[in-house]
Amino acid sequence: MTAWLAPATLEEALELRAERGAGASVLAGGTFLGILMNEGFLSPDVLLSLGRVAELDGIRVKRGELCLGAMTTHRAVERSQVVRDGWPVLARAFSLVASPRVRNQATVGGVLADADYASDPPAILTALGARAVLRSPRATREVSVGELILGHYETSIAEDELLVEVRVPPCPGRAVYRKFRSRSSEDRPCVAVAAVSGEAGLRVVVGAVAGTPQELPEACALGPEAAAEIARRYAEEIEPMSDSRGSAGYRRRVIEVEVRRAVEALA
Amino acid sequence: MTLRLVLNGRPAALDADPGETLLDVLRREAGLLSVRPSCGIGVCGACTVLLDGEPVSGCLLRAAQAAGREVTTVEGIPAEHPVRRAFAAEHAFQCGYCTPGMVLTVAGMLEETPEPSDEQIVEGLGGNLCRCGCYVKIHAAVRRAAAA
Amino acid sequence: MSDGHVDGAVRYAQDAELEGQWHAAFVRSPLPHARVRSIDTSALPRECVALLPEDVAGVGRYGCQLKDQEVLADPARFVGDVVAAAAAPTRAAAREAARRVQVDFEELPAVFDPITAVSEGAPLLHPEAGESAGDAVSIGVRPLAGTNVCHRFRLVQGDADAGFARATVTVEETFRTASAQHAPMEPHATAARWTPEGRLELFTGTQTPFNLRADLAGLFGLTEDRVRILAPPMGGSFGAKTFTRLEAVVACLARKAGRPVKAVLDRAEEWVTLNRHPAVVRVRIGAAADGTLLAKRLDCWVDTGAYADCGPGVATKLGYAGIGPYRIPNVRVDALAVYTNLPPNGAFRGYGATQSVWASERAMDQLAERLGMSPLALRRRNLLRDGDRFATGEVMHDVHFEECLDAAARAVGYERDPRGKGLCVLLKGMQTPSRAAIALERTPVGYVVRCASCEMGQGVRESVRLQAAALLGCEPGQIEVPDPDTDSSPFDTRTTSSRSTHMMGRALAKAVADLRANGGERGHGEIVNDGGIDPDTGQGIASTHWHQGAAAAHVDVDEETGRVTVEHLHAAVYAGRVVDRAGAELQNEGSMIMGVGTALFERIEHTDGQITNANLSDYNVPSAGDLPRRLTHELIEREGAEAHGLGETALPPVPAAIGNALGSLGLDLAELPITSERVLEAVGARDRPGAEAAT
Repeated sequence: MTAWLAPATLEEALELRAERGAGASVLAGGTFLGILMNEGFLSPDVLLSLGRVAELDGIRVKRGELCLGAMTTHRAVERSQVVRDGWPVLARAFSLVASPRVRNQATVGGVLADADYASDPPAILTALGARAVLRSPRATREVSVGELILGHYETSIAEDELLVEVRVPPCPGRAVYRKFRSRSSEDRPCVAVAAVSGEAGLRVVVGAVAGTPQELPEACALGPEAAAEIARRYAEEIEPMSDSRGSAGYRRRVIEVEVRRAVEALA
Repeated sequence: MTLRLVLNGRPAALDADPGETLLDVLRREAGLLSVRPSCGIGVCGACTVLLDGEPVSGCLLRAAQAAGREVTTVEGIPAEHPVRRAFAAEHAFQCGYCTPGMVLTVAGMLEETPEPSDEQIVEGLGGNLCRCGCYVKIHAAVRRAAAA
Repeated sequence: MSDGHVDGAVRYAQDAELEGQWHAAFVRSPLPHARVRSIDTSALPRECVALLPEDVAGVGRYGCQLKDQEVLADPARFVGDVVAAAAAPTRAAAREAARRVQVDFEELPAVFDPITAVSEGAPLLHPEAGESAGDAVSIGVRPLAGTNVCHRFRLVQGDADAGFARATVTVEETFRTASAQHAPMEPHATAARWTPEGRLELFTGTQTPFNLRADLAGLFGLTEDRVRILAPPMGGSFGAKTFTRLEAVVACLARKAGRPVKAVLDRAEEWVTLNRHPAVVRVRIGAAADGTLLAKRLDCWVDTGAYADCGPGVATKLGYAGIGPYRIPNVRVDALAVYTNLPPNGAFRGYGATQSVWASERAMDQLAERLGMSPLALRRRNLLRDGDRFATGEVMHDVHFEECLDAAARAVGYERDPRGKGLCVLLKGMQTPSRAAIALERTPVGYVVRCASCEMGQGVRESVRLQAAALLGCEPGQIEVPDPDTDSSPFDTRTTSSRSTHMMGRALAKAVADLRANGGERGHGEIVNDGGIDPDTGQGIASTHWHQGAAAAHVDVDEETGRVTVEHLHAAVYAGRVVDRAGAELQNEGSMIMGVGTALFERIEHTDGQITNANLSDYNVPSAGDLPRRLTHELIEREGAEAHGLGETALPPVPAAIGNALGSLGLDLAELPITSERVLEAVGARDRPGAEAAT
């Protein structure tokens, strides 16, 4: 019989997390953990469910920043008027994930904590300068998505920490998210490109091609008019992986096309 | 543990390991064989159930996640429901294995978007695979149900 | 009739609950080719039963065309081959028990493609294999001793060399088709029970109950009446659930356990159970300057995986389907079914036609280009007509190839503007020889029709019901069609090859006539379609009844990423007489959609024999969003015509139509699937400075 811990408050959840560490698997929406358990990769003795922690749910705007509780579902982000009004590219990117069924269950916190390279949200959240709030009984810290996701399924979340919120600064003037699928329309992305342009300049992040979202600030410094050159550099410098969705060589070609198209769309 | 939930409109108490899938519990404890195992990773939709009215994958939900919630399977969708009637009228099935999942997904879809465009229909059906290839007639069934 | 489908009431094999049943799990080889040195069961939990080699020592070999399979493999011949099994009270316990079985292997050299497998020095998978007899073998099997060739089909008509010598234009090209997974929504499921009297009963998802009965009876040394197969509806099959799959090992487990045992496969296990034959097909076609075909040569290497299964039959059908519906005086076909250390390949909707039609119809377009002719005109010039002889020597009757081709071309406006459009016309045979029978009995409310055709979504039960009602002059609702049961259903060869509506319709007519002639209570009717072709010459009757169809595709390409969009896909299939309109439409639509998957993205990937995309995320099957922007089709009927099978016809022409559409844009694809990456490479090849100009 699997032990089921279902704290009702954040404080209780943090205590249990600190107490159990790696001995309990944290359950947010359960899509990723569910796959690992069904496929036999994981057989946890203890599940720490965050489903009852009301403080982790919710979409708010505080001091101009979008605050997404870690247990907010993809579907809630997709449908939220607040997000559609202020961060439309984010609503769009989340709406492209998998199917409505998955989006009803998968959470904002979960998708970042999973650090699955073939996900959509990490690239767009990186491009928007989002930060993850990590809490433990001893401290609270904020990290950028780039500092959070270290590699394939690897994050910097400590064993006594929980990802509790994602904060997104005001959305720059123009932003696009492009999801290139090489096969079926339900396929995971082969190459994903998030591009934003505003007062702080141009930021382009490529996802789904390597263990972490990829960006080249020096190339972006050329500005949105240099779309072709920026794209060329991205294709040259990124070292994409090969998988069922495309070889490394093919991904390079698509990176160039998709980065160029994304930057051109900002104009 | 005893999983207490509202199942197809009625209170139910089901014997379950909190860590097992809702799919397994519904089949074994409630005899709801319309909820079906297929891909095991939440991409095909054969195990779709409505959780508080929203479609989710039964194979990716731990039983305990359904505690206190409302779960609906196709057995809880009456025969006169426009979606069931439309699927029958359009003959939107072949082997029938994916059909309950389709019906539930469409019921949920039309609840949220009563007059979906063709694009919205395709997008809404995307997560339910039908290897027999009934998508053309399923699309017609959605249109018919929406018009009803 | 939607009862059971829309309300979820259909019960499949996986839903079986036999009193006292335990669950099965399999111990599978992690190596592609390895001897079993020893098996250690010391870590097994108490409450379980293990099936080990010594438990099946007395059980023979099985195989529908070659008896080359053992219940437990030694050596294991592919990653996933079953070397032991376990049964326990729950599925989880059985899987845990299987995990705890320790097998020590001695690795052997392995081979993973059919061309290497037939070359000098390749490791031999089956140094000796016995020939099978029986109803599954519709053709003499021709293994080449001392090689990995388990069957060589050869067709010789006229003198191909002489024909090529006279040809003004000859094209030669090699085409490849990847392996694919049927991926039925319901995985394989089987439950077995031995009765106190020593009879074996199986409740299993199968398209071939009588073949199964014969195989199992042979394995256990029983007469066939001591084996009973019950065949519930399947949640899809498409050929996956044919011949002996899990049934032998589950029956052995049940015997050892002394209780019923049920096995339901995990999705991942589907990729190590049965797949589609990958093929390499080299086509050579020679024509006169006016486009008259003079000679054709096909060399085919058909990868049948570790066990022959029905590979000989597939290689044969692939071989003659690759000739195409054309008048060609000089033809030579060599099709080899070859063993490799990959999971066995077997029946898959299309039965070999997809792989050879891809090659043959692509080559026709290449030939048209060389001749400076329209691909449509080239085909029209050479299509078989009523009274012509096919390359097997048989006279063709009830021929409608040109109608199908013209309809497909018309649907996409091919003659008006062929750019971005491609055509394909095909002929596909129906299982010949074969037998079908119907037993009728009057009931208080109507009739019961006993028929061994198995329901897998194709609507055969409905088709039988409608045809029976029409013949008997009553309402379909008065006709009961029980699930096949070899104890009470009369013999039928099997539910494959799109034969059931046609054959059962004819058997029904006989049964009704018999019923009427004999008092109106009971009737029996049997139909035999005689024929067959010589495996060394290809001469004879390949099919008493031909499946005929054509497809046309209109595509758009993003030439920067290689992504193909199918704007319009049309299939024109000759139906003769449609029995169940909705059912027939669904067969066309379903076949076309499956064809899109084969055309654009379905392929099984492996590294050193280990399948690396054994799940429905890494292996894509078509979803609602993958339909062509316009998907249309037609069922061509003729007054007084007989019902033609059409469960598969609209699948094989789809990849070739799409490939030819790309060809019209100067993008030459020779390998399936037509991935975006390959299209991008083709764009590069076309636009390279110095490349030949497209038509």
